[in-house]
Amino acid sequence: MSVANDQRHVIAMEVEDKPGVLTRISSLFSRRGFNVESLTVGHTHKPGISRFTVVVLGEEKELEQIRKQSQKLIHVLKTCHVVDKDTLTEFELEQIGMKVKHGVMRELAIVKVHYDEQSSRPINHIVERFSARMLHWSGYDLLLEFSGTEEKIDAVFEELENVTVLESVRSGKIAMSVEPIKAV
Amino acid sequence: MSDGSNKTLPEMTGAEALVRLLEARGVDVIFGYPGGANLPIYDALRGSTIKHILTRHEQGSVHMAEGYARVKGQAGVCLATSGPGVTNLVTGLADAYLDSIPVVALTGQIPRSMIGTDAFQEVDAFNITMPVCKHNELVKKETELVKAIDGAFYIANSGRKGPVLLDFPSDLLAETHHYDLEERCHLPGYQPTTAGNIGQIKKALKAIDQAERPLVLLGGGVSNSMAVEEFLSFVRKANIPVVRTLMATGVMSSDDPLFMGMIGTHGNGLANQMVNSQADLIMIVGAKLSNRSLMRPDLFTKGSKLIQIDIDPAEIGKTIQVDIPMVGDIRETLREVNNRIEQKPIRVDKPLWCEKKHVKSKTMLAKANEAEAMEWVFDRLSEIDQKLHVTTDVGRHQVWANHHMINPKHLPLITSGGLGTMGFGLPAAIGAWFADQETSVVNITGDGSFMMNMQEFIVAVEHQIPLTVIIINDFRLSMIRELQDSKYGQRHIAHDFNRDVDFSLLAQGMGGVGRTVFKLDDIKPALEEAIASKVPNILCIDLERLFRLSKINLVEAS
Repeated sequence: MSVANDQRHVIAMEVEDKPGVLTRISSLFSRRGFNVESLTVGHTHKPGISRFTVVVLGEEKELEQIRKQSQKLIHVLKTCHVVDKDTLTEFELEQIGMKVKHGVMRELAIVKVHYDEQSSRPINHIVERFSARMLHWSGYDLLLEFSGTEEKIDAVFEELENVTVLESVRSGKIAMSVEPIKAV
Repeated sequence: MSDGSNKTLPEMTGAEALVRLLEARGVDVIFGYPGGANLPIYDALRGSTIKHILTRHEQGSVHMAEGYARVKGQAGVCLATSGPGVTNLVTGLADAYLDSIPVVALTGQIPRSMIGTDAFQEVDAFNITMPVCKHNELVKKETELVKAIDGAFYIANSGRKGPVLLDFPSDLLAETHHYDLEERCHLPGYQPTTAGNIGQIKKALKAIDQAERPLVLLGGGVSNSMAVEEFLSFVRKANIPVVRTLMATGVMSSDDPLFMGMIGTHGNGLANQMVNSQADLIMIVGAKLSNRSLMRPDLFTKGSKLIQIDIDPAEIGKTIQVDIPMVGDIRETLREVNNRIEQKPIRVDKPLWCEKKHVKSKTMLAKANEAEAMEWVFDRLSEIDQKLHVTTDVGRHQVWANHHMINPKHLPLITSGGLGTMGFGLPAAIGAWFADQETSVVNITGDGSFMMNMQEFIVAVEHQIPLTVIIINDFRLSMIRELQDSKYGQRHIAHDFNRDVDFSLLAQGMGGVGRTVFKLDDIKPALEEAIASKVPNILCIDLERLFRLSKINLVEAS
């Protein structure tokens, strides 16, 4: 795998919620030589169906191969290679080809910061600027929730360098294609 | 609170349900080895019509299932216990996975309540076998058992075929439940494509018609999908030359005017030249194009248009970029192609663009002295004009067999192509015989490969199988030596066994017939006698002495 052409790609999958399906998918990525940057799993509105969003580094061509290999897993129902609607131009999308779908992507972060008189100003500023939700106040520590694009969360973490962060967690991306689907 | 079972259904143990389901799917033989965790299955097999073949090692059981499947065209079944039983299956499962052979492997697991406690003979069979199986499952609930077994056979035998493993905890096998044996699997995520896309077929036919020097590359997928007839009809109608991969030996007779040889590391010069520089269109039919077939992927794709038919969409463009992909079952796709050619012929009056020459050339490796003697053996074997199932192991003999076995009654060769498993040939030959008991079986092997699974010869003796094992004995790992000669500056290590084995005595010790051949003139009568005897034979060809003696003979004769 050539490092120079490596790009970040997102593969979204709908899978049957069967024992071991997480291992099947993650081990497939690792044995075909892909590094998973983030992997998010959760239930969907359909009972027994889960949704995976996998962010990987790799070349376009290799990504198509790993998507096809994932699609072959018996418990995988649908796979789709999604690119961020906001970061690619129409021309770039055309270059990548038809199989890739335009999508929106979001990430969630929860951060525990030390809150006192001194840090109140910069924290209030961050809360306001990034429309954070305040989840819990212990009297000393404040739990904040941020959501948005990866770039926004990156910017949040940059700003947070000015205050005392005690703990933080990012959910990893979730993605959905914007293309219309006919109701079945 | 109901446990999901319907009390009106017959009550039986999980093992009984399993055996009834196997019988209903036409399983007539199981290759297996008992252990604590799978004994409930053995208990249920006692009253069954299914014949159980006790192997001498679990690896033998899975290779036998592979040999059975190669001849029968549907899944072979093997059975092992938990722990070491299942780890011994791994090599064979990987072999079946890489060569797309349908196998259903059943394994016992420790009781559900003990899973995860490092209990005696516990290994995580599910996770160990996952990367070498098309699909696998740990059956944890009674309500899943029937669906899992139905699914295992469906998945192994359909689409791109392959091995499926089911792991059954022994308490689930031993306890009773009301099983509905008519239940069927529901696999919404598994719909193997069968018919090729019409638009793509039209495009491909147009490209073939317009090409000046079209070529067909024949892979193992053609015989796997039972499409040999359709394939031959297609290349004859279009009058296109054919080259093949290792897995497609014997699909086309070597004296066929359209057949140009084998490509790849062990292929011949003409075939490699044709794919690398001469053809302007290559149609790839059921070949996975690994590094052993594609020596120069850059030359392969340069200047030629590529069409690929494969049932597995992930094979399209995996190692090279393809211009016209056709995802579908080869048999159905070629039928459609043939129908269209009949209505609107292509390549009318275009002569064959290449000349067939030196097809019987040597492999690309430097020719060793004994190689010539090896050729004599294969030529004599080819002269035996009766139907045989021939298996090979892995090493120099495999390459030579691939080039020199020309009698269509002995082909296709049953060989381990993808994984290159030494020790595959003997158990595979035994499995092949259980699938077709009218036909004698021959295993061509080397001394190295034979010693990897030689215990299975006893199984052949036990069942009096008409098996002839031809050991091309040179007392060393000669392919290793060839590689050390060509790539490691003749720095030899670990290729010499340093100890001769009397294989004919070994055969006798196991209850079979054994003989050693070291004269050229003795090869043919020894082969004829062994094959005609219809009992297990080991024929040890002493390659070094054969060559040395023959040279003396030649000098004396002149």
